[in-house]
This record gives sequence, C-alpha cells and structure tokens, in this order.
Amino acid sequence: MLVLTSLCFIAMVLFCLAMTKHREQVIVHEVSILAVRFFRPLAWLLLSFTAYLSVELYGWSIGPALLFGALTIAILLLTLLLTYRAKIVPKLAIVMSLMASISIFIS
Amino acid sequence: MKDNFRQSMKWFHTWVGLIVGWILFFMFLTGTMGYFYQEITRWMEPERPFIEHNISNEQLLDTAQAYLNKHAQGIDGWDIYLPNVRDQNLRVGWRHPAEPGKKRGQYKIKVLDIATGDKVASRATDGGRLLYRMHYRLHYLSTDISYWIVGFCSMLMLLAVITGVVIHKKIFSDFFTFRAKKGLPGWLDIHNVLSVIALPFHFMITYSGLLFFLFTYMALSTNLQTNDDEYREMRKEIYPRIAHLEKANQPAEMLDVSVLYQQVKQVWPGHKLNYIEIFSANDINAQVLFVRHETDITYNPADEVMINAVTGEVIAQQAKEYTGAGMIHNGFFSLHEGQFAGPLARWIYFFTGLIGTAMIASGLILWTTKRKPQQMKKSNGPDFGYRLVEQLNIGTIVGLPIAIAMYFYANRLLPLDMVERAAWEAHVMFISWAILLIYPAFRPAAKAWPEQLTLAALVYLTLPLVNALTTDKHLANSLPQQDWNFAGFDLTFLVVGGCFAFAAYKVKVLQASKRSSKQSSKQRVQQNKPPVLAANESLLSLQQVNKEKC
Repeated sequence: MLVLTSLCFIAMVLFCLAMTKHREQVIVHEVSILAVRFFRPLAWLLLSFTAYLSVELYGWSIGPALLFGALTIAILLLTLLLTYRAKIVPKLAIVMSLMASISIFIS
Repeated sequence: MKDNFRQSMKWFHTWVGLIVGWILFFMFLTGTMGYFYQEITRWMEPERPFIEHNISNEQLLDTAQAYLNKHAQGIDGWDIYLPNVRDQNLRVGWRHPAEPGKKRGQYKIKVLDIATGDKVASRATDGGRLLYRMHYRLHYLSTDISYWIVGFCSMLMLLAVITGVVIHKKIFSDFFTFRAKKGLPGWLDIHNVLSVIALPFHFMITYSGLLFFLFTYMALSTNLQTNDDEYREMRKEIYPRIAHLEKANQPAEMLDVSVLYQQVKQVWPGHKLNYIEIFSANDINAQVLFVRHETDITYNPADEVMINAVTGEVIAQQAKEYTGAGMIHNGFFSLHEGQFAGPLARWIYFFTGLIGTAMIASGLILWTTKRKPQQMKKSNGPDFGYRLVEQLNIGTIVGLPIAIAMYFYANRLLPLDMVERAAWEAHVMFISWAILLIYPAFRPAAKAWPEQLTLAALVYLTLPLVNALTTDKHLANSLPQQDWNFAGFDLTFLVVGGCFAFAAYKVKVLQASKRSSKQSSKQRVQQNKPPVLAANESLLSLQQVNKEKC
C-alpha cells in the first residue's frame, strides 16, 4: 500500500512538473524544454506500472480499488504541499522513489 | 431556465446539492464511521478483555466449541469469529429460533473471555452497528420510508457528482490547483479539490449505494418482468450462498473443529482464518465452513473450505459460475462495504469517506459564501432562507460530530442498569444534535461557528479522560498491552479534538485580523462606500477546518 502511494505520488509530481504554472512553483531554476516534454509520458508510464503492480500485489479486483485509494491520498498530499510547502516536493519525490524501489526489491 | 448547457447544469448542481446536502452529510459521516463499526462496538463494550497475544487458533477454536456445546445445544447454525485486526476478542454467534409471527429469530453475538472460556457480560449498547445502520436506516423512521429517502438523496447525489464534473471547466488544468485564498475562490477551490481527488470514490460509493436497495427502488420492473420462481432464481444468483446439508435429526459425534482446521491449513498455507460457520451441529449431516479473509471483491469461492464434521472429509465445492451482471453487482457491494480492506486500506476508506463528507460541507458553505455579499446589502437583513441554510450548516457540520461524541459519552456515563439503556444512548445523540441545530438560530453566525467549534474540540479532547475515569480500558493500560483497538480509539479522539481546536483558533485569528483590517480600510475610505460585504469572517476561515478534515 505504501509502495502504491509513493509511486502514485511520484507519477503525480511528474504530471505536475509537466504543467508550467506548477513547475514554476516547485523548481526555481530553468528546466530544458526537452526534459519537460518527457515528464508527461514518463508519468503515464509510471502510472501504468503502478496499476500493474497493484494487480500483481493484490489481485485483479482488489488491486485497482486500492490503486484509486492510493491516488486519492497522493494527490491530496501533493495539492497541500504545492500550496504550503512547494519547495520540498522534489526532495520528497526523490525520497519516496528510493523508498518504493527498496521495498519492491525486498518483497 | 438558463440558456446554455453548462449554466443550467450549474443551476441544477447548486440546488440539488442544497436540497439534500444535510442528509447527505449525515449519511456520509455516519457511513464513514461505519468502516470502523466493529472497532467502535468493541470500544463501547469496555468490559471486554484486552487483546491476548500469541494464542493458537486451535486453542481458540476449542474454547469456542466447548462454549457452544454447553450453551447452544439444539441450535442449527453456529458461527465462530476469530480475533482479528478489527476486533481482537473471540466471539461466537447464533440465530435464536424465530418467535411466533416473525420470519427470523434474533441473531446474537457473545464475546468469550479466552482465559475463563465464559462469556463476557458487557453493558447494553448498540455500538458501532447503530451508527452504521443509521446511514441508510435513518434511525427513527420506518425502514421503508428511510430506504426511499436515502434512495432519493443518493440519486440526487449521483446527479450532483455528474453535473459537478460537467460544470468544472478546468478539471485537468486545475487538477492540482488549490489557492488558499479567502472567500469565494478559496471555498470553490476546496470544493473542487475535495471532489476531484476522490472522484472515483464518490461515484462508486453513490452508485453502489443505490444498488443496495435495487429491489425496493425498482420493484415495479422486477415485478412486471419476473414471476416468483424467476425472481428467486435471480436473487440466488446475485446473493451467492454456499449450499449446505439440512439437519437429518440423527445425533452424531462431531470432530473437534480444531482438528478439522489442520486440513484447512494445508489448503491455504499461510493464510489467516477469519471465521467459521457450523451447520447442523452435532448431527449426522454436520458441516463446517472455514472462511479466510477475502482475496477477491466478487466473492472468491476459494476463500471458503467446507468440511464434513463427522468424517472429516473436505467437500469439494463446485466453482461457481457468475454471470457478468452478478459479478458487477457483487463487486459494487463489496467495494461499498470495503470488507476486503486490510487495516491500511480501511484507513484510506475512512479518509476518503471524510473527504466526501468535507466535500459536501464545503459545497454547503460555498452556497452561503456566494450569497453573503448580496444578502448583507439588504436593508432588513438577510432573507429567512439564507439564515436557515446558515443555521443548518452550523448545526450539522459542527453539530453532528459533537452529537456523535455525545453518543460515546452516553455510553460511558449512563447508569449501567438503566432501562432501555441502548436506546437512550441514541436518544442522547439526537437530543444533543437537535439542541445544536436550534442554537445557531439565536446566535449570529460569526459567533456560532467558533463557539460550536470550541465545544467540539472540548468534547473530543475530554473523551479519553472520561474513558480513563470510567473504565480500565484507557491509554495508560491499552498502550502497554499493545491493544491498538482501544488505544487507537482514544488517540483518534485526541487528533479529532486537536483538529477542531485548531479550526476554532484559526476562526478567531482570522476574525480578529478581518476586524482590524476592516477598521483600517474604513478609516481610509470613509466617504461613499456602503458597509457592504460585511464578509463572512468565520466561514471564510473555516477553510482551515476543511483542509484539516481531509
């Protein structure tokens, strides 16, 4: 469940980095246009992987149900962070991706 | 009617939401509590023992079977519920024979003390089940009327969800947008964010809620299209039950359930046993059904193992073929109830439920916020309708949580030997809600909001204290015992109380800042502007509440 939530969070961060107005909130320095183009496809890819993982972990019927729950929590967290602590979003995303990959490898 | 499509949808969304908003708030909040109804019941029966760690299932099953043999002879069906995350006590249950004139007898669950093997005598209470049944049975009304009211409200909720998506112009570009602004834009953002982030949940919960009483709402259709046999057949298909043998009235020696359990362990290595049903106990046809925690939301037949209790043979079950419609129906049922959810997923259900509740609350507040400037301009004060909405908002959004706390207080404080004690717990809840609904009528809204919020904070923060004074199941005992059922409850009260306290504090701070800024601006532009927009101080600042609620 925590893995799902972290992965959802990272995917959502990528989506939000793909949008100019949010990118400016989160990152101070300029990002190359080329990199920005990759954010959205990458986000979709990660989201599909998370969906696959949810089915793999919890079965075809419970998995997607939990995926939507995880998405809700992830978006809520991200939205609140964007409003109040936008600067820590990238750091948190990195920490979460580390956590998620470690727990995938362990299990 | 408005000319363009989106405008008319907007009109529809506003008024549909307003008409049933308060009932929906009630349904959502009590339903959300319902996700923890077993936990609530355990907390409300503090006579029950603390969790016993490291007791084998075999030992538990022996204890339960010995009790049932002694106290439930002659009853056909026995159920044994093993301690689990949701309820850490061993429980047994059976249905009493029907009283004359009634279709079914009463189903009673008894909690067993593992140490003595005897039942625990606990206070009379309806526990969490009352709260959860309330969300579709509306307590005081008759079943039929409640089902229709609930159905009507859910139907409008479904429409509000759909029209809400239609009128949300920038659903994708504003996906993550939440501007913590004061006034209308702030509230609109809160409402949007709360709706969008849990949209799958909102849709699922409303739609599946309507499916629950399918045969009540669409009775005409089923009556016209099916005869009795077809109807029975249809119900059998969508409410699956494992077939078991009827009693043969030949007494026979039954094997110990704990012995039969050894075979189940081989079928499901490493899986947790959830509960056991025993059919035709101590009869030649005795059968035992072992059920593990759900692994599939459409009722996986492999989650159950049936064993002949006399010979010890595993009875092979025919894999049940579900039709597409049956599967969708069952899937929606279990999505709504979330029975499959483990502890973490259950908390997520609880949170998304709260998000839904907060969404409705923010929608209701949005209605008043939008009309406030205009209403304040009127020479003889705001309209009756506006004041009524404001009053109902305060009385419901803050009043109902307080009333629920009063239900818990009643559980701890009403005398144990009181007549109709369980019923009075609910009466206390509704009486306090009624008071809190009426109270804002006599107070200006700007005062009533912070007052009720402070009251809410107080009642929730003192609940653990009252618990400690009246029972021994308080934090000082439950934490060392690692009984997270009891401990989690008190801790949740503290968190909820803290949130309300923060909200009340925030309201006061914002009111004060508003007042000083208003005064200074008044001094600056003293000439022509009428004192309009005597803004919605308390309401505005309630944004903070909402942020917290989710």
